Amino acid sequence: MTAAIQFVIDVLSLGGAYALMALGLVIVYGILRLVNFAYGELIMAAGYTLYLVSASPLPWLVMAVLAVGAAVVTGIATDYVAFRPVRAKSVTAVLITSFAFSTLLQNAAQLLISPRPRSIPLPEVFSDTVTLFGVVTPARNLITIAAAAVLLSLFTLAMRRTVLGIAMRAAATHFTMARMLGVPANLVISTAFAISGLLAGTVALLWLGRIGTVVPRVGLEPLLIAFIATVIGGMRSLEGAVLGGFLLAFIDTALNYSLPQDLLKFRDAFTFSLVILILLWRPAGLVRGPATGQRT
Amino acid sequence: MALAVEALEVRYGGIRAVRGVDIEVGDGEVVALLGANGAGKSSTLLAIAGAIRPYAGRVRLDGRDVTGSIPERMVRAGVAMVPETRDVFPDLTVEENLRLGAYVRRRDRADVEADRAAMFALFPRLAERAEQTAGTLSGGEQQMLVIARAMMSRPRLLLLDEPSLGLAPTIVEQIFAMIARLAATGLSILLVEQNVGKALAVADRAYVMRLGRIAAAGPARELAAAADLKEHYLGG
Amino acid sequence: MSARDLLTLLLLAGSVALLAVAAEFLEVRLFVRIVTNLFIMLVLVLGLQVFMGNSGILSFAHVGFMGVGAYTTAVLTIPVRMKGMALPDLYPLVAGLELSPLAGILIGGLVAALVAAVIAYPLMRLSDAAAVITLFALLVVLHTIMLHWSAVTNGPRTLFGLPRATDLRLAAVAAALAVALALLFKESRIGLLLRSSRDDEVAAAALGARVPVLRWQAFVLAAFMAGIGGALWAHFITSFSPKAFYLKESFVILAMLVIGGPGTVTGAVAGTYIVTLAFESLRALEAYLNRAQIFAEQVVGLTEVVLALAMIGVLVLRPGGLVATREIGTWLLRRKPDKGDPP
Ligand SMILES: Nc1ncnc2c1ncn2[C@@H]1O[C@H](COP(=O)(O)OP(=O)(O)O)[C@@H](O)[C@H]1O
Ligand SMILES: [Mg+2]
Repeated sequence: MTAAIQFVIDVLSLGGAYALMALGLVIVYGILRLVNFAYGELIMAAGYTLYLVSASPLPWLVMAVLAVGAAVVTGIATDYVAFRPVRAKSVTAVLITSFAFSTLLQNAAQLLISPRPRSIPLPEVFSDTVTLFGVVTPARNLITIAAAAVLLSLFTLAMRRTVLGIAMRAAATHFTMARMLGVPANLVISTAFAISGLLAGTVALLWLGRIGTVVPRVGLEPLLIAFIATVIGGMRSLEGAVLGGFLLAFIDTALNYSLPQDLLKFRDAFTFSLVILILLWRPAGLVRGPATGQRT
Repeated sequence: MALAVEALEVRYGGIRAVRGVDIEVGDGEVVALLGANGAGKSSTLLAIAGAIRPYAGRVRLDGRDVTGSIPERMVRAGVAMVPETRDVFPDLTVEENLRLGAYVRRRDRADVEADRAAMFALFPRLAERAEQTAGTLSGGEQQMLVIARAMMSRPRLLLLDEPSLGLAPTIVEQIFAMIARLAATGLSILLVEQNVGKALAVADRAYVMRLGRIAAAGPARELAAAADLKEHYLGG
Repeated sequence: MSARDLLTLLLLAGSVALLAVAAEFLEVRLFVRIVTNLFIMLVLVLGLQVFMGNSGILSFAHVGFMGVGAYTTAVLTIPVRMKGMALPDLYPLVAGLELSPLAGILIGGLVAALVAAVIAYPLMRLSDAAAVITLFALLVVLHTIMLHWSAVTNGPRTLFGLPRATDLRLAAVAAALAVALALLFKESRIGLLLRSSRDDEVAAAALGARVPVLRWQAFVLAAFMAGIGGALWAHFITSFSPKAFYLKESFVILAMLVIGGPGTVTGAVAGTYIVTLAFESLRALEAYLNRAQIFAEQVVGLTEVVLALAMIGVLVLRPGGLVATREIGTWLLRRKPDKGDPP
């Protein structure tokens, strides 16, 4: 019984983080058809901001807000540097600029800060453990579950209730039609990148909280996770991305519990082969997104 | 509102879809733009609405040059476009589609609310389906929705691209009745149609396009009387 | 081959020969090293050009196949007496083998091509984002295997003991052959059809082109060249680990191709030259700054920052790269437009 509870908590906390990662990638892909290779660097940016303000006397929560803010700013910068100047050109051009921007940010961090890990400040509770239904689990896991629940609900609410949210959903199907109703393209695009940054920044707090340090390449793993989750869930569907995140967490946790150690090393090979198979079977991912849609 | 299009040209790569077109729409006037498939009517409308950039020529609103404006600016200038692709947002409800139509004046909550009530009165079938997603509507209902949605921005000029396309005759009747009612409110309308008879019946004036150029123009009644109109310009 | 293509081949292969002779003549160790490395990069970049330039699809898997070539030749050519140390768990079937480096390099290319042929056939139906993500996923899969298949790759640790067999001449010959291969493919029927599909997939399919098959052929050839390039590099560097075949290397190869112009062989060659020059100068600058200890921390990443900026700049200002559409031979032999010419 406790093993089952342990399993559920593991899946939910891992899935919460995965779902946020995937959602942050899909919000940009769904509207702009941009696979943002620089997405992981939003997480890196938040991490380094935490490190840079760690010496200040600010309370941790303020530092966290600054870190998330840095991810948002970096997200919007992605738009201006890598997306907007080439968005009228080919899909490949946009992919390459985002990949180049990712390399740019990683190496800028190496150059300006350090290639070596830097430790980031964490609040006390992150290292506490709690006992829940007889299971001892890090408080961090429960915080992750709560944060994911709150953020996902807020996100859903904003997309359903606000005019801008409705406009974003509309722009994901017919960008030009939305513009012909007066929805400003630039606002929609910037908002997509800002939301992407907000989600990535939050993920950074939870994800980096497990290791307590930040390195220039820290964004790669979340990027890969977000790729798999969105492919599983459907690259155009916001609900699908969340679902994909939890599904991937389930698969990962189940493999962790069941696979022998020497096969576990190949877990990434398995999951990414799964990604390839899914895309072959359904090139738009498992969950269908909104109907058609042209690039902007 | 007065629209003046001068020497408009539209190209898609090497394809010259519109080759020097002049069109005027006066205040409160209903003008029909007729022509066979591929004549360049939709391209003309899209260029006016700012959805595609004209290759050459001018677009003026009340004398002001708005050539090549982005679409969102054209909406704010009072031009609403209903494309022939009838792009409802299929995953959004009818209600949300209308709300988006009022995007440019979303701050006047009370006015928007009143307009929506007016649209629901004009299109009762939409009122019944307010909470349904637009993708589940029939073709005729979707056409009503896109017209109503365009009207939510309170345009002074409405660009309508083939509203009767592919609809059942009874629905076509209803759509044209709506157009007549909208025209009666003083709205300027530029109406692209293949249903020549119906279009000329609601229009004050008309243009006929052929191969990217204006081939004939005149008061709707005169064009309607010209027996050879169909065979000459509309491809039979 | 038309006169223009021949001229292009002559000039590009000639530039390789010229560089090789210059390096040989100068006898500066550093310069020879740089030029040899440049030739190897040429093979890799031209390989990517074969697929990406003709199909228009971005492939991250390319450096994965480079790794396949490198590890294949390693397993086949590391001297038997060293294998016990370098790869203690190697399967007995190959542990006793010791082929000549040339054979190893060739087999490296063939194995990479074979792996690509088997895996990629179904993938080539995909376009746009789905294609890019699958090829990215393929790179991750290949990388994971290289990282953990310890018996063959020594795992994440450095594999050592390869004979140093890639010298300036071998690399120059390989580079010249790669130029010829890329040009021949581009002007072949497959290349022509593939490029028409890049510009309009639907129209090309309507003309009867079986786009996935065309892409697959280009992909296999590209993988072969990547494998050869990887194997050559392996015998040049003689010890390496899986991280040599991942995103960092992808970035450099992609930067060379994108800056030069993926659409032309001339562009790929020019991009490799220019980026190598920039890369080596910036590396030298980094080394100088580090030696002079002007900054408290090590200066690393400057090179990549500059390259990334250059890449974005090129894509914004000249989306087709420096040499976008016309090969150098075509450009030199262009006629003044006559009246009869289509514009
Ligand atoms: N997006 C496009 N790309 C290329 N050609 C187009 C495009 N849209 C329209 N055309 C071409 O432009 C011409 C005019 O089309 P259109 O404006 O849609 O005419 P109409 O609305 O009168 O049927 C046609 O020959 C059509 O094939
Ligand atoms: Mg039309």
